[in-house]
Amino acid sequence: MASDLYIIVIGCGRLGSYLANQLSSAGNAVVVVDWNERAFSNLSPEFSGFRIEGDAVESAVLRQAKLDKADLVLATTRKDNVNLMVAQVAKVVFSVPRVLARVFNPKREEIYRRLGVETICPTTVAAEVFLRATAPPSAGVSAGVSPAEALR
Amino acid sequence: MTVLIVGGGRPLYFLCRTFLAKGHNVIVINDDAEECTQLARRLKVTVICGDGSDPATLEEAGAAGADAVLAVTSRDQDNLAICQLSVLQYEVPRTLALVNDPDNEDVFRQLGVGAFAPTRLFASLIEQRTAADAITNLLPVADGKVNVTEVKLSGDSPAAGRALRDLELPANALIAVILRNGDAVVPHGDTVLRTGDRLVLLTLPENHGPALRAITGETD
Amino acid sequence: MEAKPILIVDDEKNIRLTLARALEALELETDAAINGEEALAKVAEKDYGVMLLDLKMPGMDGLEVLRRIRDIRPDITVIIITAHGTIESAVDAMKHGAVDFIQKPFAPKEIRELVRKVLDRDALQAEHARDYHAHLELAKKCINQRQFDAAREHVRQAIAADSTKPEGFNLLGVLLEMGGEKLEAQKDYRAALALDPTYKPANENLDRSVGIKRNSKINLGE
Repeated sequence: MASDLYIIVIGCGRLGSYLANQLSSAGNAVVVVDWNERAFSNLSPEFSGFRIEGDAVESAVLRQAKLDKADLVLATTRKDNVNLMVAQVAKVVFSVPRVLARVFNPKREEIYRRLGVETICPTTVAAEVFLRATAPPSAGVSAGVSPAEALR
Repeated sequence: MTVLIVGGGRPLYFLCRTFLAKGHNVIVINDDAEECTQLARRLKVTVICGDGSDPATLEEAGAAGADAVLAVTSRDQDNLAICQLSVLQYEVPRTLALVNDPDNEDVFRQLGVGAFAPTRLFASLIEQRTAADAITNLLPVADGKVNVTEVKLSGDSPAAGRALRDLELPANALIAVILRNGDAVVPHGDTVLRTGDRLVLLTLPENHGPALRAITGETD
Repeated sequence: MEAKPILIVDDEKNIRLTLARALEALELETDAAINGEEALAKVAEKDYGVMLLDLKMPGMDGLEVLRRIRDIRPDITVIIITAHGTIESAVDAMKHGAVDFIQKPFAPKEIRELVRKVLDRDALQAEHARDYHAHLELAKKCINQRQFDAAREHVRQAIAADSTKPEGFNLLGVLLEMGGEKLEAQKDYRAALALDPTYKPANENLDRSVGIKRNSKINLGE
């Protein structure tokens, strides 16, 4: 991905901090937002971005992070609803060009994808990888069952 | 009407009671087993124990058949999800979300969800001038651009005993309703105002002061 | 574009890095100092055109750095880096000619735009000023050179050119307040707010000057 973007990562847990570290060392200006200050200890010592302690559900916090200037927002908290809300606010209120939200619940993910929210569902993604890994070794065949069906 | 409410605590309990008293059918979703048991025991409501923002729980609660969904949990993000899922997945005709962060009232509106912030209402009730119990500021409407105020006419109000058309009300001020002896009267120019009348006054902020003065005679 | 190098002064490595990276695209030479003492030493040796200065650093106070820089390099333009919700003595900063502020966090393009604006300002000539923006920038140039009377004149001309923009009124308010005319200043802050009730700098300036304690910074806008 192109570097020198202004990227906001919401949530500094395992996923958030990993993404922040990677994106920052790739040369982007990264802002990490987490309501718990202790979460920032997940960041590597070389992290050269900004940290904001606050609840991303408050639009005052999003304004402080200057979401209106963001090129990319990644919503990575452990709560689907927070990620979905931040994603929508980022798109609709702050007009961020690209927004990604982690959503654990596949059913929710399906509904919100229809709304146009770009989502990453760890459950579905993991299922796809598992199925691909266990598919019979014939050329060019995809896993017999779609992940969504597998999860029903 | 079938009303589905997601939330907990005292607000939920009294909301249920209010709707039941009006003859509506009430379904509750609450995520605490103990609280669910209490609610089922004390009120004639259907109780589903679970996460109201989970599509599966809404399904189980019969959201598809609800006429209205009220999301009153303590978390704005959950209330947003509840309302959006109700509309997107179950086509519920009316939804309302409680929001704690007053900024989220406008944010939700931009996302297409009706929201209400009690915190904003409380703050504005206290901030606005309330002189001697005679003036009560009511709901701020239209994003706070219109003031709705109730004014009680005392004996020394210059407006008492005069016809509405004779009051020197500024432009953009309207006496919409007069509450008199328990009746609501929509006034016209000839209506004579009386001591004890409660006037519901609509004003734009810049005319609020002058309108109040014309009615109560009080200076700032 | 001026070929003079830019000096970044901040105790936090991530800020220094972010700023340096952002300014790479402008193809300007950048240098860094981790505190006030180092900044002064570097400024004595080299002629920097612009300095990005964080006021809150351990050791020498940022304002002190600002004051002393003036003695060594009166022409250097200083951009102040502020943090959210901190008390910055912006009136004092302006007395030393600093009129540009940027709050953390900042996007690379924000920094680039601000630095470019500051550099373009040097090229501005008074006789060519025609519109609101030119006059406002000239006012800031005068403040950079601590010619406050001329600055006031230019802001007034900016307002005359376009009286619908809050920034002009706000800046005039700050200049007046700096000159001790508090009541007049408040009228201008209110005028700015009447034009745009959401214009934060004027809101903060008004609150602060009437004594409402939130944080006491004068906000010059962006």
